[in-house]
Amino acid sequence: MSPVHFIAVPLFAAFLIPLIGKVSKELVKIIPGIVLLYLSYLSISLFPIGVNRPIVEIIAGFNPPFGITLYYGPIAAFLTTLITLVGFVIWLYSYKFIIREPTEKYYMLFMMLITGSTGIVLTGDIFNLFVFFEITSIAAYSLTAFLRDRDGAEAAFKYLLIGSFASTFFLLAIAIIYANIHTLNLADIASKIKDIPLTTRLFILILIIIGLGIESEMFPLNGWAPDAYSQAPSPVGAVFGGIVVKAAIYSLMRIIFLMFHTADVLHFLVVMGVITLLIAEMSAMKQQQIKRMLAFSSIGQMGLVIIAFGVGTEPSVRAAMFQMFNHALIKSLLFFAAGYLVFHSGSKKISALDGLGHDKPITSFFFAFGALAIIGLPPFSGFWSKLYILLSVADAGLMVPVVLILISSIIEAVYYLRVVSRLYFYKEEATDVRRTPVSGLVAMGILTVVILIVGFYPNLILHWMTPAANDLLDKAAYIKFGLFH
Amino acid sequence: MRKVIAILLLIIIGYYSIDTILKIPFGEGVKGVGKHYLESTIKETGAVNSVTAIVVSYRGFDTLGEVTVLFLAATGLGAILYDKKGKKRSLQNASLIVKTSSKIIYPLIALLGAYVFVHGHLTPGGGFQGGAIIATGVLLMFISYRSFETNHKALSIIESLAGMTFVTIGFAGLIYGTSFLQNILPFGIPGELFSAGIIPLIYVAVGFKVGAELTALLDNLLKTIK
Repeated sequence: MSPVHFIAVPLFAAFLIPLIGKVSKELVKIIPGIVLLYLSYLSISLFPIGVNRPIVEIIAGFNPPFGITLYYGPIAAFLTTLITLVGFVIWLYSYKFIIREPTEKYYMLFMMLITGSTGIVLTGDIFNLFVFFEITSIAAYSLTAFLRDRDGAEAAFKYLLIGSFASTFFLLAIAIIYANIHTLNLADIASKIKDIPLTTRLFILILIIIGLGIESEMFPLNGWAPDAYSQAPSPVGAVFGGIVVKAAIYSLMRIIFLMFHTADVLHFLVVMGVITLLIAEMSAMKQQQIKRMLAFSSIGQMGLVIIAFGVGTEPSVRAAMFQMFNHALIKSLLFFAAGYLVFHSGSKKISALDGLGHDKPITSFFFAFGALAIIGLPPFSGFWSKLYILLSVADAGLMVPVVLILISSIIEAVYYLRVVSRLYFYKEEATDVRRTPVSGLVAMGILTVVILIVGFYPNLILHWMTPAANDLLDKAAYIKFGLFH
Repeated sequence: MRKVIAILLLIIIGYYSIDTILKIPFGEGVKGVGKHYLESTIKETGAVNSVTAIVVSYRGFDTLGEVTVLFLAATGLGAILYDKKGKKRSLQNASLIVKTSSKIIYPLIALLGAYVFVHGHLTPGGGFQGGAIIATGVLLMFISYRSFETNHKALSIIESLAGMTFVTIGFAGLIYGTSFLQNILPFGIPGELFSAGIIPLIYVAVGFKVGAELTALLDNLLKTIK
């Protein structure tokens, strides 16, 4: 029972899958589910321990800063639980989803994507963070091109080029940090960052914001996202929006709060967040394809999260974490439903969805449910996180962002309701005899129930957000636990 | 206007990057964790090659990650270039001289590769380098003989088993020691072939894995004709 299982077990499964594939094709599909179920169980049972007092796990028996450590604090506990549970639901959804051959390789890539994301969340070492970023992004490039069509190849190549820039910049930042203070442990870096000259620190900050901002979908570094989201198979779109982005944003915020926690940097984050939010929502408005629209909406939501982190007070960070939780669930639900709507209508276009609400009532209901939840209507969980973000931003006295967030919410409502109205209020004769498989419906059902329960009892989740927010804001405690002082 | 802004931005970023590089204290001796590694490699890991000690022991977790990255690259390429019918290489047979000599050199290259990864804890090189050398030998055969085929099934089994060995060694450290990837075997006498605990084991696994993966990668990339 130690946090390293979150990384080692899915990795072992990824190595095992080709061997299992020689025996049985069906078993290949089941193994990721078993692994994710085990990890969910592990994350839930470790959760109370990690929230109480961070578990710092040593790797290879060398004490920090000489060896690599894993830092399983409140945020890591929360995010690994989120990743493994959402990952399990995504597995359930993809179980009967028609995936092109080679299925075996699909599940290997999926497992390694989970490994990389949990690694990003857990690691306490900056170079190790880079390695897990590489694992995550390379798995993501391959999954983007998995359908082997023209558009997929184009999207994957774009993603590959931008992603390579990101990792080069990040690696350069790590090299400069190491050259100056001779350490790679995050806690150790945080305690020695003041020894680096100011201009050098500024340069490192720029490199890190570019490097990690690309995966975090921050404007103007998010050009890859709409293509990648819409060309990848639908379950993968849910993984990108539900899991990968969350891990990336967390790592960016962790580094900023540990190394560059100044008012100017936080203001910069707020400004970038607002620009990301507005541009993404306006672009989403113009989209003709449903998955591209969801991708832009996802970028917009990340902008909202960046604003809340940038405000940097305890309530705002708590609200940002809550928003990440809600977005992971709701965006996965939307991608799930959109995947089958596209499948049934036979086209990625929004205009092809006319009248599907009568033909495919259950899938359409799930989509409408997700749309209302993400707009932030009560009694869904999205309402609370948006409300808390608005309250905390207003508390900090930033009235302009409040107004802009409200405007963007209206835009969001318009384009989501436009799709929902097409589903229900347009007539279309053609009917599709194929049905949405049960495993897909169960996956969507689970998410719906959770969204409703959290909507009625937000304190169930918010209750855990306070230690998580303190974990991010309290640099001294991170250094103390991370270095065993 | 756009160009002016771009040039201005470039000048600003260029200034800061040059400033940063000039301020790095190069040549002042090894400090921090690097100093610790150099001073206590033999005592703490039993390996005489401190680069290997850092790669496999101190930062073995990163190496596990890097092995995964290569595995991912091979898997991803396999997925994208997947074709049910199978493809052929477009290369022609090479001349008799190349064919004859590569037949002689190929086993020697494989032997050199194996030597490099087995002696990773003693001499320069290691699993990644040894594996790459072996794959070069196979590439030579691919170029010389049109009909030279590798057994894909065997390659993927080697890949999987080697990867699982690495993770299993890690778990053994967790079960019999205190932490993942911890060295649980005796160090032996530094400088001998059987020394440095789990380091040679990991490097042999990495060597096999990298060799098999790069071979499969080359094979995938060379087969272009249906």
